[in-house]
Amino acid sequence: MIEVIGLQKTFDNGFEALKQVDFTIEKGELVCLLGPSGCGKSTMLNLIAGLLQPTDGDIRFKGESVIKTEPKDRNIGFVFQNYALYPHMTVLENIMFPLLVGDNKKKKGDAKAIAEKYMELTNIKELQNKKPGTLSGGQQQRVAITRALVQEPEVLLLDEPLSNLDARLRLKIREEIRRLVKDVGITTIFVTHDQEEALSISDKIILLEDGKIQQEDDPQNLYLEPENLFVAKFIGNPIINFLPIEIVDDRVKHASFDLPLTHFIEKRFKKSITNGKYYLGMRPEDILPSDSGPLKGKIESVELIGRERILHFELAGERVKSIVGVENEITEGTTVTFDLAYHKVFLFSFDGERIY
Amino acid sequence: MGKKNYNSENQLKAWYFLLPALLAIFVFNIYPLFRAFFMSFQKGTLINPRFAGVENYQRLLSDPVFFRALKNTAFYSFTVVPIALILSLAIAWVIFEKVKYKSFFEAIFFMPYVTSTIAIGIVFRYFFNGSYGLINYLLEFFGLPRVNWLDSVSMSMPTLILFGIWTSLAFNIIILLAGFRNIEKEHYKIAKMFGANEWEIFVKITLPQLLPTLTFLLTVNLIGAFKIYTQVYALFGGQAGIAKSAMTAVFYIYDKFHVAGRPGLAMAATLVLFLLILSITFFQQLILKKVGRKR
Repeated sequence: MIEVIGLQKTFDNGFEALKQVDFTIEKGELVCLLGPSGCGKSTMLNLIAGLLQPTDGDIRFKGESVIKTEPKDRNIGFVFQNYALYPHMTVLENIMFPLLVGDNKKKKGDAKAIAEKYMELTNIKELQNKKPGTLSGGQQQRVAITRALVQEPEVLLLDEPLSNLDARLRLKIREEIRRLVKDVGITTIFVTHDQEEALSISDKIILLEDGKIQQEDDPQNLYLEPENLFVAKFIGNPIINFLPIEIVDDRVKHASFDLPLTHFIEKRFKKSITNGKYYLGMRPEDILPSDSGPLKGKIESVELIGRERILHFELAGERVKSIVGVENEITEGTTVTFDLAYHKVFLFSFDGERIY
Repeated sequence: MGKKNYNSENQLKAWYFLLPALLAIFVFNIYPLFRAFFMSFQKGTLINPRFAGVENYQRLLSDPVFFRALKNTAFYSFTVVPIALILSLAIAWVIFEKVKYKSFFEAIFFMPYVTSTIAIGIVFRYFFNGSYGLINYLLEFFGLPRVNWLDSVSMSMPTLILFGIWTSLAFNIIILLAGFRNIEKEHYKIAKMFGANEWEIFVKITLPQLLPTLTFLLTVNLIGAFKIYTQVYALFGGQAGIAKSAMTAVFYIYDKFHVAGRPGLAMAATLVLFLLILSITFFQQLILKKVGRKR
C-alpha cells in the first residue's frame, strides 16, 4: 500500500532530518512512527502527506510515486496535533467542510448525509450543533478524525493524536482510535513520542532515531527483542539497566561480580563473542531476588507503585533497579542477592549492536 | 482583634484608587458634554451669553450650508468607509499571502499613518494641482483629459473622497494584518489538503475569522469619517473647498465657532452630529449582530 524507498530529507539549514529510510506498510495496517523529539518522525509524516518535499528517494502509494502529487490528490486524511478545527463553524459544518470545497464538491444535502453517517460511527452526533471551543479535548479529537474521514481517504495520518489530552482520557481515546480505524479498515500512520501509546495500539512500530530506522517490528518484539542498545533503552519503563562489562576468557567480569559465560544460553548468541568490552542489558523484572546469584546490593530505597515494588541499589557505583511483586516485603537497608533471567537479558557491543 | 467588617470582594478603600480616574473622566468627558448641551441653548459671545431657547436649532435647520455639510459628510462616510475597507482587505491579504518581505511592506504601508495628515495634504495638493500636478500629467500621458481637481465645485467632493480613502488605508491594513496573523496556519494547511481553492479558503475560513476585526474597523472608520475635518483643511488650503462645496459637519462647527463667533450655533450643530453618529453606530451594531447570528 505505502512504500518508502531510500527516503532522505535535508532541510535548507543543513539539518539532516531523515538519512536513509525504507519501509513498507500493508493495506489496513495501523502503524506507529515512534521516537524521541527530533528523530524525524514528524518530518516523515509531513513527507507522506506532501507538506514537505523529499531531498532524495521515493514514496509510493499502491506502486505509484506520489512525491510529485499535490497533498489534496494523494487521497489522505490528516489530523494535526492541535486538531485545527474551524472555530467559527459548528461540528457539523466542520465535518461537512471537506465535502463542500474543491473540484468534486457535493450537494449540501448529500454532504450532510455523509457527515451524519460518519458522526454516528464516531459517536458525536449529539455534538453536531456545538462550536469546537465548547468541546472537551477528547471530543475535539473525535471531530477532527471524523472530518479527516469524510472524504473517504485511503490513508489516515495522525500527528501526535493524544498529546493534547489528559492521562485518563488518553487511555480511552487510544482504544477508540484503534477500534475506529479497524472498523473503517483504513491504513493509518500515527506519530508519537509516547512508547506506551505506541505499544498499546499499533500493529507495527517503526522506531526512528537520528534520521534512521532503529527497528521496525511488532510492538512486543521491540520490548522483548530489541535490535540495538538504543531500542532497548528507549522502550520500557522503568528504563533498562545496563552495566559496562568485560568478557575475558569465557568469564563475564564487572567490578561487582564475575560469572562464567556458560550461564548464558548458547542459541541466543547472535554472533560468536570475542574478548572485549560490552554492555549487559537487564530489564528490571529480569533481576530477581534469589538465594544465590551474581548480583548483591544494599537496598537504598523502595518505591511502591500499585502492585509493584521497585528496588533501587548500587553495583560498584552503577544504579540498578529491580521490580518485584508488592507482596515481596523487602525493606530499605537490607542486603539482597539477585539472580538474572539469562533467557531474557541482552549483551550489546560498545557501539550498540546486539550480540546476545 | 480589630473591627470585623472585612469583605474580600467589596472594600471601601477601592474608591480612593478610583477617585483620580473618575475625576478626570468627569472633568474631561462628562462636563464638556453637558456644557455643550447648555451652550446650544445660549446666544451671544462666550463671555456674555444669553438664554436663547431653541433659536439656535431653528437657525441651524434653516441653514442650507448646514444641510450641505451633513449631506457631504454622509456621502463621504458611506463611500470612503466601504471602499477603503475592501481595498485594505485586498492589500492586506496580498501582503500576507503573496509578498516575501512582509515587514518591509508593512512599514511602507504604515508610514502614512505616522505622517501628519496636513503634511500629506500639502503633497497631495501638488499631485492634484490642475496645471502642473502629477495626476494630471499622468492622465495626459495616457491621452486622457485633464481634471480640475481642486478648484471646481463638482470635483471637490470626489477629490476629498479619493484623499480620504488613501489616508484610511494605513491603519486598516495594519490592523487587518494582525487579524490575518491570528488565524492558525494549520487551518489553511488542512483546507488545502481537503482540496479547497484559494477563494473558498478566503471566503470560508479567513473572512469569518476576520469578522471581529472587520466589525471593529467598520465602527472606528465610520465614526472617524463622520468627524472628518483635517483632510478638508489640508486638501483645500484651510477652506471647505471652492464656494464651500466640500463643507463637512465638523468643518461647519469649527467655522461657526471660531470664524463666525457663534458658539451657541456651533454647539447645536455639535449635538446634532453627536446624535447622528450615535444612532448610526447603534444601527450598524444592530445589523452586524443580526448578520452574525444568521451565520
